[in-house]
Amino acid sequence: MYDFGVKTPKSVDEVKTALGDSDDGQYLAGGQTLIPVLKQRLAMPSDLISLARVDGLSGIEAGGDSITIKAMTTHADVAANADIQSAIPALAKLAGGIGDPHVRNRGTMGGSVANNDPAADYPAAVLGLGATVVTTEREIEADNFFTGMFETALDEGELITEIRYPIPEAAGYIKFPNPATRYALVAVMAAKFGNTVRVAVTGAGPCVFRVPEMEQALTGNFSPDSVKDGMVPADDLNNDIHASRDYRAHLIGVLARRAVAEANG
Amino acid sequence: MSTFVARNGIGESQRRVEDFRFLTGKGQYIDDVNLENQAYAMVLRSPEAHADIKSIDASEALALDGVLLVVTGEDWKAAGYGTIPTKSGVRKFKDGSDLKEPPHHAIAIDRVRYVGQPVALVVAESLDACRDALELIEVDYDSLPSVTHQSEAIKDGAPQIWDDIPNNICLDFELGDEEAQKKAFEDADQIITLELVNNRVTATPIEPRGAVADYDAETGKFTLWNASQNIHANRDTIADAVLKIGKENLHHIAPDVGGGFGGKNGVYQEPILILHAAREIKRPVKWINDRAESFLSDTHGRDQVSTVQLALDNDGTFRGLRTETVGNLGAFCGTVGPFTPTGGSSRTQGGPFRFDAIYYTAIAPFTNTCPLDPYRGAGRPEGSYQMDRIIDYAAAKLGMDPIELRRKNLIPESDLPMKSPMGLDIDCGNFPAVFEKTIEISDRAGFAKRKEASEAKGLKRGFGVCMYLECTGGGPKEEAKVVFRDDGKVELSVGTASTGMGHETVFAQLLAGHLGIDMDDIEFHQSDTDATDIGGGHGGSRGLEVGGSAVTQTSREIIEVGKKIAAHRFDVGADQVEFEEGRFHVPGTNHTMTISDAIDSQNDPDSLPDDLEPGCMNISTVFERGIISIPNGGHACEVEVDPDTGTIKVDGYWVVDDFGTIVNKMLADGQVMGGIAQGLGQALMENIVYDESGQLVTGSLMDYALPRADDMPRMVIDYYEDAPTQKNLLGVKGAGEAGCVGAPPAIVNAVCDALKEFGVHHIDMPLTPERVWRAIQDAKAEG
Ligand SMILES: Cc1cc2nc3c(=O)[nH]c(=O)nc-3n(C[C@H](O)[C@H](O)[C@H](O)COP(=O)(O)OP(=O)(O)OC[C@H]3O[C@@H](n4cnc5c(N)ncnc54)[C@H](O)[C@@H]3O)c2cc1C
Repeated sequence: MYDFGVKTPKSVDEVKTALGDSDDGQYLAGGQTLIPVLKQRLAMPSDLISLARVDGLSGIEAGGDSITIKAMTTHADVAANADIQSAIPALAKLAGGIGDPHVRNRGTMGGSVANNDPAADYPAAVLGLGATVVTTEREIEADNFFTGMFETALDEGELITEIRYPIPEAAGYIKFPNPATRYALVAVMAAKFGNTVRVAVTGAGPCVFRVPEMEQALTGNFSPDSVKDGMVPADDLNNDIHASRDYRAHLIGVLARRAVAEANG
Repeated sequence: MSTFVARNGIGESQRRVEDFRFLTGKGQYIDDVNLENQAYAMVLRSPEAHADIKSIDASEALALDGVLLVVTGEDWKAAGYGTIPTKSGVRKFKDGSDLKEPPHHAIAIDRVRYVGQPVALVVAESLDACRDALELIEVDYDSLPSVTHQSEAIKDGAPQIWDDIPNNICLDFELGDEEAQKKAFEDADQIITLELVNNRVTATPIEPRGAVADYDAETGKFTLWNASQNIHANRDTIADAVLKIGKENLHHIAPDVGGGFGGKNGVYQEPILILHAAREIKRPVKWINDRAESFLSDTHGRDQVSTVQLALDNDGTFRGLRTETVGNLGAFCGTVGPFTPTGGSSRTQGGPFRFDAIYYTAIAPFTNTCPLDPYRGAGRPEGSYQMDRIIDYAAAKLGMDPIELRRKNLIPESDLPMKSPMGLDIDCGNFPAVFEKTIEISDRAGFAKRKEASEAKGLKRGFGVCMYLECTGGGPKEEAKVVFRDDGKVELSVGTASTGMGHETVFAQLLAGHLGIDMDDIEFHQSDTDATDIGGGHGGSRGLEVGGSAVTQTSREIIEVGKKIAAHRFDVGADQVEFEEGRFHVPGTNHTMTISDAIDSQNDPDSLPDDLEPGCMNISTVFERGIISIPNGGHACEVEVDPDTGTIKVDGYWVVDDFGTIVNKMLADGQVMGGIAQGLGQALMENIVYDESGQLVTGSLMDYALPRADDMPRMVIDYYEDAPTQKNLLGVKGAGEAGCVGAPPAIVNAVCDALKEFGVHHIDMPLTPERVWRAIQDAKAEG
């Protein structure tokens, strides 16, 4: 680690001031990504602005047709939340399958979504469920949020405050864990909202993405059989020692079928 | 207490006395060793696989606040230190010429030969200052062509790693009778050939390597605390061969060590570098590897590519076995590195099966990779993998039942004792009985039902077995010293090294059992060159075999002296005194004396006969093993494979081991379970990968997959105890490595059994989901 200062604002306003007062400040949420990065000297922020004590950044609110999760809510809290378990069980399952208990008790949804790791789970939930990312500045639709590998539509200093997930008719999430990291080697979220179907894939490419061909096929018939092999070409997928792009392309088909089957119960 | 004592402590599942310390954070590991005024060291490691060092500029680093010293190859040249020698047991080529041993200095001199090789040592007031300094050292490299794969390294025209070592070959080797093997192959009905990869892995102990060095300028003596498994031998090498300070001037100590598995056996560069640094700056110096450095610099294991041929008759009778292997050594000879693919892998060829003839050859080349050294099993896992894979492969090719094929060819009990075609002295055991017991406990009868249930879920279930034959190894001598202190405590010092195996428990259990004293009164010491004169450390499953025998031998001598003391008191001949359950007594009389009575008397000259001196019960003896012992056993495994994704779940595991006498079943079970976990890791996920340019791709736990608790099956572990060996005082055969000797072939056999309907008969380890899926696709494509 290089040296850095630590600021502990108590409100969103104070967060903004703290950031303004820093040469090169960076938000610290659960630290499950940022701390390892700092330890390896891969980042050199002048100050860490801890979000831990900021009022109103944590909690889960169930509405009529959506569930709103505040940015600092931990993965463990999402996994254990009764409203989420009954309204969007796939989301509770996703959060409960992140890392290990230690990671789930520290890591936050906001941190995960802001970080946009290509192998992270949450981006598949946000994109697959068509959620809305609410920040200190604006509301960003999921389709416009994830812009590339570790890149998002967030501007410099823009803070995620909460994410609003519409409640689907049915959704399923299937993760194929990387044997070393247990992040997603490939994972698929499939969700049905009336006449719309959304399928989001994480782990397989440089950034989470939707699969329009599957969505169309599933809109006609929300059944595993609608998902055919080869609906996602291998060309642009990740290729590494854990899985070739061909194998990832194959897994997307298998997992999408299983996600639909899970959604259908 | 009484059965415990009656059986000399043998057969008791004593709970591990060290665990309370370990589990409550009171263990003293290397990072817990902190000396006053200590400085910190970090290593600058080569980013190049093969390059000339044009220059090193450390001036900016040295100018930094808090930086005390930078050591480079130039300093090493000037100091005239020696190289780190290899102690490989095999030292001659087939043609009788000497093994080629390139100079292995503790720091790169003029050229680097693998990524991670130490290029400079930085010593500073703090770790942060070390890190800052590392970033400021400028090294100008001139890259050279490199080679990482052993099969490429031996080709003509491959990059030369050492100018004077043609085709990069350090050593070649043969064992067995080539003519007899050829004849057996001519006579046999069938010859089955299989090419195998034994994947490269690393030990990944939970505690990384580290050391603290101290130098006393007044006495000229050094002290080295080192997370090492081999304190005595490595002291001799470091002090005599490398630093040339004389071994009497190096006190070498290992505190609690958090796992080793062979990866902490060898002599490493960094402890030597910090000893040098401590003398230079006249302050203690501490160095601890981080996890990423561990992947780069801990010796790796396995990494063999082999061709195995089995000659057999149409009725299944084995005739001959031929194995050719190329074993990667890395850029230098490890401490015993060249022995592993040669002698180490040859001895157990053929396993517990009958053969007319076996012939084994090996080539051991250098490559631009981290040096290799023993990893749990060191050659025997390679041998059992070759044997038990070729059996299943032959069975599949010839339409035979792999269980029947083993049954037919196991060496019968009536053949023992025998000398194996590889020269192993197999004194006792009952392979057919062990095999049948393994099959019996694995519930073969219920398999069909379980397979049906899997099938209903779209999964393929398979069953595999392995019947391994092992041998122990490591240093043949061990010392056990007992001192009875005035405060009632008993110091027991043994020259073995526990890195978590439970020596503190089992040796105390033996001493307490033999003497009839309380285990709680025993203080255990190990891994300290001041505590015992000699010490064979850790390796080759030798702990109980050699160390336990030494404890037993010392106990017996203590009892003999006690008898003399008792005889003196009762005024009888020592031969009239008997010892039982902690008491000396003279049969036919009411004369008895407890062991503690005798111990109390040992310092009182009036209580001693003329030929005994005060302190006479404080005894140290050295036990020397004559011939290595032969553990053996059966592993059986059931797996469920998802053919759509290639995922494997190991769903059941059964083991019957013949480790001779079982002294502490709980500890033996622990050894077997841990070994199976490491074998499962190697079979399914662990893999060290270098890319074309010699960069380590699996440089962290994000890329190097280790098994987790939920990857492990339920394990049923049983023992065959009817064949204790006479080769040591306890009848034990060594338990430490057997688990990972048996597990890889059992697991791979089970997977191939599950996939046989697709025509998949072999997949190279690790059996990652993608490899399994691909094997199914390829087999389908071939039709
Ligand atoms: C061992 C281990 C296993 C893991 N396994 C998984 C896994 O299986 N699946 C998975 O998806 N993830 C996994 N993770 C990552 C984990 O989910 C992290 O918690 C998450 O990626 C980051 O969340 P955090 O709260 O820890 O954020 P931090 O590490 O504190 O921050 C991450 C980044 O986000 C920024 N940030 C944080 N909060 C906000 C905000 N509200 N608005 C804007 N920017 C913000 C920070 O400045 C930083 O750049 C694992 C992590 C570890 C250590």
